[in-house]
Amino acid sequence: MMCEECGLRPAKFHLMTIINGDRVERNLCPACMARQQKQIPGIDFSNLAGILNSILENKNSEEQPRQDAEYEDCACEQCGMTYLEFQKCGMLGCANCYQAFKTPLTALLQRVHGNTQHAGRVPGGVHSGTSIRMNIDRLKQKLQKAIADEEYEQAAKLRDAIRGLSAQLERKESEIKVKPPERLEDSEAKGGSENV
Amino acid sequence: MYDYVLAPEQDVVISSRVRLSRNYEDLPFSPKLTPEYAEEVIERTADGVFNTENGAAFTLLRMSELEEDARSRLVEHHLISYDLLKYVNRSAAMVSSAGTVTVMLNEEDHVRFQGLLPGLQLERSAEMALKLDEALEARYPFAFDHQWGFLTACPANTGTGMRASVILHLPALSSAGQMGAVMQTIAKLGLTIRGLYGEGTEARGNLYQLSNQATLGRSEEDVIRALSAATGQIAEHERSMRETAEKRDMLQLQDRLMRSWGDLMYARLMNAKEFMKRYSDIRYAASMGYLHAPLPGLDMLMMDVQPGSLGVRAGKLISSRESEILRAKILREELQQLVAE
Repeated sequence: MMCEECGLRPAKFHLMTIINGDRVERNLCPACMARQQKQIPGIDFSNLAGILNSILENKNSEEQPRQDAEYEDCACEQCGMTYLEFQKCGMLGCANCYQAFKTPLTALLQRVHGNTQHAGRVPGGVHSGTSIRMNIDRLKQKLQKAIADEEYEQAAKLRDAIRGLSAQLERKESEIKVKPPERLEDSEAKGGSENV
Repeated sequence: MYDYVLAPEQDVVISSRVRLSRNYEDLPFSPKLTPEYAEEVIERTADGVFNTENGAAFTLLRMSELEEDARSRLVEHHLISYDLLKYVNRSAAMVSSAGTVTVMLNEEDHVRFQGLLPGLQLERSAEMALKLDEALEARYPFAFDHQWGFLTACPANTGTGMRASVILHLPALSSAGQMGAVMQTIAKLGLTIRGLYGEGTEARGNLYQLSNQATLGRSEEDVIRALSAATGQIAEHERSMRETAEKRDMLQLQDRLMRSWGDLMYARLMNAKEFMKRYSDIRYAASMGYLHAPLPGLDMLMMDVQPGSLGVRAGKLISSRESEILRAKILREELQQLVAE
């Protein structure tokens, strides 16, 4: 189970608080638990020793986020979110944040998912530009491996396949360049006039 | 004989749910979402959903316009997440008339499509959610990166943005003390299991939620396949434990389970915690054929007597004692009807 506060680390604690007679229960990771303890004045400290112990035990995994300290001041030029802000709330401010914090996020995604390459569906189905781009990336990785393994026949095949896909992508993108007016109409339509 | 249709594996699997998280690429995400942008999310999505083939079947519910009990009722019936209520001022839900498809708006992500079906039907649940996703992405593009997939506010959901889950009723595995072993095996498969209600290791009503953990690096189909296979295996295991318990001492098992039926039929005060225990017993009894009550009806009744739903039915704020009285009354009346049908 993941921490209900940050959603990034495994939950190790079950925190139960009673505020004005309402019981609130949450599962938290050691880092968020420690933060909660500072915030909630009426918290039961009876098992504090256990909590501290567990934080110490988790020292290794806790060192990871601290490695990101050098990125804390990084800010997304689009929405203004800093990496430090992201670390505190666990959520990014906009799509561009993924580019702005690319380096630390790559490491984070690897830790959370054990992977950094999307393998699922893409918008617009298999023939979309995104899908082609993903295939090119995959083939390029194979090509590098083939060259390293000195499998030149295989490498030549891969190179041709990449060329083919690149040409396909170029055609796609030139088609898309013709498209924008449609989208403009769309966004104007939602302003007032009824949409079809 | 009683006559009703069971969904696949419904003796163990209560329901299957698939949620897809999406964000509009040109709008700021949750932490930077202003009221104006939140309204834009609602307008775009409502416009998109109402214009789909089955659009007329959806109702738009703004959380700020609902009473607290009505919101809780939606959570108790798994139509919306508890987290949607963290953002009451800006959040909304679009619910289909059949209750099988829901779109959550302005939760942690702009849009979350949900497909929900009884029994083990993950593929169909996913299909329902993906169909809506495809219809909407054609109108306004969702944030997507060719390396990282669909971009979500929390990186823990990025990639497919898909969280698939099943709710399992595991009374025999629980009473045989096997849940620890099940949980360990599950963790190795990249899946997580937790008690649906209740605290810590306690799972109220012996209900567990099994779901996928990672969303990046595996396709939707792969994840659904793995989760379905694991669910099928746990269900098999649960069934064999039920059989073992029956073989050991059928009369004692029947006696234990049917006493709960007696309690539910005659109690005048029933609190939520005790109810979940009794519900688990009679569901178990019904699945073994000791009690002729339809499982879908029992599951629906279970959700209907949760605190928020009771409040909605009462039509006013009720004290905890009043809700215990009302719960007991509804159970006496409706269980009688369920077995009579």
